[in-house]
Amino acid sequence: MADLRSNLAGIQSPNPFWLASAPPTNSGYQVQRAFEAGWGGAVWKTLGDPILNVSSRFAAVSFNGQRVAGFNNIELITDRPLEVNLKEIYETKKMYPDHAIIASLMVEPKQEKWHEIVKRVEEVGVDGLELNFGCPHGMAERGMGSASGQVPELVEKQTFWAKEAAETPVIVKLTPNITDITATAEAAVRGGADAVSMINTINSLAGVDIDTWNTIPHVGGKGAHGGYCGPAVKPIALNMVGECARSPRINVPISGIGGISNWQNAVEFMLMGASNVQICTAAMHHGFRIVEDMIDGLNNYLDEKEIPSVQELVGKSVPKYSDWGNLDLNYKIVARINNDVCINCNKCHIACEDTSHQCIDMLKDGQGNPILKVREEDCVGCNLCSIVCPVEGAIDMVELESEHPPMTWNDRQAVLGLVQEKKGNLTP
Amino acid sequence: MSDYQEYLLEREKIDHWLDKGYMITDVTENLSGAELTLKKPENDLEKLLIKTADGRKYFSNLLFQKKEELESR
Ligand SMILES: Cc1cc2nc3c(=O)[nH]c(=O)nc-3n(C[C@H](O)[C@H](O)[C@H](O)COP(=O)(O)O)c2cc1C
Ligand code: SF4
Ligand code: SF4
Repeated sequence: MADLRSNLAGIQSPNPFWLASAPPTNSGYQVQRAFEAGWGGAVWKTLGDPILNVSSRFAAVSFNGQRVAGFNNIELITDRPLEVNLKEIYETKKMYPDHAIIASLMVEPKQEKWHEIVKRVEEVGVDGLELNFGCPHGMAERGMGSASGQVPELVEKQTFWAKEAAETPVIVKLTPNITDITATAEAAVRGGADAVSMINTINSLAGVDIDTWNTIPHVGGKGAHGGYCGPAVKPIALNMVGECARSPRINVPISGIGGISNWQNAVEFMLMGASNVQICTAAMHHGFRIVEDMIDGLNNYLDEKEIPSVQELVGKSVPKYSDWGNLDLNYKIVARINNDVCINCNKCHIACEDTSHQCIDMLKDGQGNPILKVREEDCVGCNLCSIVCPVEGAIDMVELESEHPPMTWNDRQAVLGLVQEKKGNLTP
Repeated sequence: MSDYQEYLLEREKIDHWLDKGYMITDVTENLSGAELTLKKPENDLEKLLIKTADGRKYFSNLLFQKKEELESR
């Protein structure tokens, strides 16, 4: 049994699975049930001046029969009075002292507002604070959420104000609605953040109803952009976590959020630098008990790999994540079709012929049966055929030995620069 | 002609001039590929337009290997 205990900037929890600040953490009743189901921590639904919500609020994108491939919402922060939330946080923390409760906060970008809310939530015994600089709708129009989270100076200043009053660790939750998330992550670090978390939701419109011409969702015939999350956003979130993890200027722990649906996804985020993970959509889709599979799966994975503690996973893939210019131009893979497994559906041929490098030939074997064969010298190793192939094991992407040692684009550009300088003295 | 065949021809041409003692004195990259200027003392300049991706990788590898060799000396 591996040690699943996690530690994010000093915030301890029995496992790395936290519920993200969202509907699943709206009340004491819910968070207590979540802890009972096994969740290690919960970031309470964002606290601030209670808001008014609209109905409807959610929409999901299904893709080819997969329900909730992506999830879209136009919900705002908590609509309950602060006192009610604080009372329930206090009670829940008393009942579950070993579980992490983090208060998510959003107030106007004013020093006294941050001081006031930080003091009030810390009085009831939270383990940490998460500053919500990410909500992309509704709050942004009021100068909060992603409106302030997109401006590095405002992130820095507000983090600083929260830190002035805070005694518990401060996590800054970042918006993905920005070109380079390391800019705001660095601003949070400059402001004194103890950790950063990412991502909040991505600006989105789930769809347009082609019969009524209404937006999806709509509120009495009118729509507004919402925030996108769920499995579809995972690659975007994972890159943002990786970009922050490999930046030497962002030297605080990361809480990974965005599309995490199972233990494998959680492991990916941790390998890419997250100290723990937060989950919303998967819990909304399947209920609190999905955490049971996550805990079991993570445990078995660590045991199989003989890794005693989950914390040893953190960041293991970060050194493998670099810039394109550092990739080896001489590394070569090619596709190889296993004709005994292939069912001759020809999808790979069509994909390569129409949209890649026209190097999968349709031939006949000795008995006149159709077979497919890759002309390896023309194959660029793009992976497309193996991506579209419906049969597991029908196409292998195999490594070919290179006649040259590794050479990156950066190496190449440097040597071409030398040629100009030396005018021939480099010639082979 | 397949890209691969074209690459083999380009590679042959590069090897041909280098075997004769020519040196790559300039590489100009443009929309068509890379123009190599090859020179041997006392001889005329030779120009080669290398169009294929593998051809451009090839001469880059030769230059890079040479640089590594010089640096390890
Ligand atoms: C309906 C809904 C409401 C949300 N409300 C909040 C919120 O109040 N505060 C916050 O920081 N994030 C909020 N989020 C964002 C989530 O905490 C999380 O960052 C995002 O959903 C990505 O994770 P996921 O892909 O696991 O859902 C909300 C998300 C949803 C779907
Ligand atoms: S890897 Fe790409 S180029 Fe090679 S056979 Fe498959 S689709 Fe064609
Ligand atoms: S896509 Fe896969 S199964 Fe279909 S022909 Fe190609 S290798 Fe065979």
